[in-house]
Amino acid sequence: MTAALRFHRHLPTWRDGLYALALGAAIALCGTAFAATPVPQGPLVTTDWLAQNLDNAKVRVIEVSVNPGLYERSHVPGAVNFSWHSDLNDKVRRDIVGKEAFEALLSKAGVAPDTTVVLYGDTSNWFAAWGAWVFDIYGVKDVKLLDGGRKKWEAENRPLNNRVPEPVATTYRVASVNTQLRARLSDALAVAEGRSDARLVDIRSADEYTGKVFAPAGVPELSVRAGHIPGAANVPWGQAVREDGTFKSAEELKKLYAAAGIDGSKPIITYCRIGERSSHTWFALSKILGYEVRNYDGSWTEYGNAVGVPITNPAGTLWAAK
Amino acid sequence: MRVAGLFSWGLLAAVGVVAYALQALPGGRTLAFALAVGAVLGLVLQRSRFCFYCHARDWFERGNPRGLLALVLALAVGTVGYTVVLGSWVPVPTAGQLPADMHIGPVSWGLVAAGLAFGAGMVASGSCISAHWYRLAEGSLVAPFALIGSAGGFILGFRTWNVLYSATMAEAPTVWLPAHLGYGGALALQLAVLAAIAAWLWRGFAHEAPANVAAAHGVPRLGQAWRRLWVGRWPYWAGGLAVGLIGAFVIVRMRPLGVTATLGSAARALAQEQGWIPDRLNGLDMLAGCATALQASWLTPNALLIAGLVAGAFIAALASRQFAPRWPTWRDAGRGLAGGALLGWGAMTGLGCTVGTLLSGGMAGALSGWVFGAAVFLAVWAGVRAQAWQARRAGG
Repeated sequence: MTAALRFHRHLPTWRDGLYALALGAAIALCGTAFAATPVPQGPLVTTDWLAQNLDNAKVRVIEVSVNPGLYERSHVPGAVNFSWHSDLNDKVRRDIVGKEAFEALLSKAGVAPDTTVVLYGDTSNWFAAWGAWVFDIYGVKDVKLLDGGRKKWEAENRPLNNRVPEPVATTYRVASVNTQLRARLSDALAVAEGRSDARLVDIRSADEYTGKVFAPAGVPELSVRAGHIPGAANVPWGQAVREDGTFKSAEELKKLYAAAGIDGSKPIITYCRIGERSSHTWFALSKILGYEVRNYDGSWTEYGNAVGVPITNPAGTLWAAK
Repeated sequence: MRVAGLFSWGLLAAVGVVAYALQALPGGRTLAFALAVGAVLGLVLQRSRFCFYCHARDWFERGNPRGLLALVLALAVGTVGYTVVLGSWVPVPTAGQLPADMHIGPVSWGLVAAGLAFGAGMVASGSCISAHWYRLAEGSLVAPFALIGSAGGFILGFRTWNVLYSATMAEAPTVWLPAHLGYGGALALQLAVLAAIAAWLWRGFAHEAPANVAAAHGVPRLGQAWRRLWVGRWPYWAGGLAVGLIGAFVIVRMRPLGVTATLGSAARALAQEQGWIPDRLNGLDMLAGCATALQASWLTPNALLIAGLVAGAFIAALASRQFAPRWPTWRDAGRGLAGGALLGWGAMTGLGCTVGTLLSGGMAGALSGWVFGAAVFLAVWAGVRAQAWQARRAGG
């Protein structure tokens, strides 16, 4: 008798039934395990949650990294890439991306009004946090950061690939622009001259803050004065995160900033060198602690170069002096 | 030779152990990958004697096209591979947008000058920078002089950079062929040009006596096949195929192949410390190519690629009994230093060498790669002619 004939004559037995039942149960279990879980409250999502929601049609993952080439080589499966240089900045004005270009960007990325946007990036989410600030200015409702960013995702050996998704385009429209999230030179100057009760947080390194160096190592000097805005407290951005790149708990953050005199009782302005890293602290203070915070994106490169504004430079360094 | 064999196995095991240890460092997976790829590349370069200068000289002097055909094959295979990868990175290529990290540089007369200098440096020193790295592993004591000379040439390049940048490079066009022709058009054009070059080179075979077609039939035993890997040299085409494949695979995990970034960075660090070069090199670190930006650590993918390349070539040289240290003469040393200086200046000004700019750039569809390559081969042609003329004069 040939194998084909034997197969043909095979009739279902109670054992086959058990197999089918077990298989069905396994599929059901897997389905439950991979089913989308509810979107968490609060401004952060965990790597665990994102791993379970990669196929969730209502979630759009967007990478905003500082270093070019990272996304192209590997990214969270299904993530879209936004370049901070060319997508989220205006290419001509020193400004964030314009409203129409932002609408086109989100439409192309398939973001709809009910989409949960999860941003993540390298260097503990520096520029992903800046992306979140831009998204907030343009009133995107449900924007979250992947806590720990690329660093934690990679450290946990979670899947990556280099396929570029092709989301179904939407027609995204910005409903309102919240300019209250931005501080301008005049706002920073008002604090320096005692005309405002806002509190300034300088998130650069202690050496930049005290004026010992004009710019961090390996970065071009973009300001002719070193030091900081008078009255600013110095809390380097890195103090807000743990070793694995995740934000410290709300309690720890509260203590950290309170020790520098920032307790949320007064409006806060964060700044750094070019205005991107300070968004990270803006995120911690406004999104996690709920304080009233504006990001000064002109930052030290604007303030330190502005004519007729006071600075504090404890180190007494002079630009171009030998 | 038993000892050499054992030593090469030992070295191979050591490369494996180092690669394993590297994985624990930040970015360690890429570092381990760079070391492993470097070792494979070194083995391939040494076994197939892949050398831009020797291949070009074989053609210009004797009409032997095999080496240049291997280069054409490497470019063709790499171009196809790059098209597949870049097509997923930048789905719709448009003017003004370049794929991250690819060696697509400005096309200017500065680039032509760089190619001519690099070609002249190859003629003077006896090979290009990548071949000097693998010859170092074969025990050549000329190679260190050429590499030291190259470091000096880099410093000269940094000194002349600001003037050249303002005069020619700042406003020069950066042409990425797929942005103008689409991926399909760029691929078709590049393959057509390569095919035309291959057809032209094929004429060289007409000079040769009819091949002995009575080649051995039958399948060699496994042991015989293994031994053949370590005797003589691999066929030219094997080198071209392997280099093209490695070039395309590498960009998925790290920056494109290049063999001068670490040398250039070290030269720049030294020269800056000594105050030999300007503090600010206008626009340099914004341009794509074999980046010479100062490194915070020696544990960079490019440094490990070079370390792997030298180790792989050393393993291959030992296993094939081609490790033959030779003391240089004063003339060798002089030619190494002078030729190296030209290589270094050309590689710095051209933002890479025959590997970084010609191969990696050409595979990516950069016009700069083709222009640099044309200038290099023009200089080699002139150099070979000049040498022949000198030899005739001396002989006559």
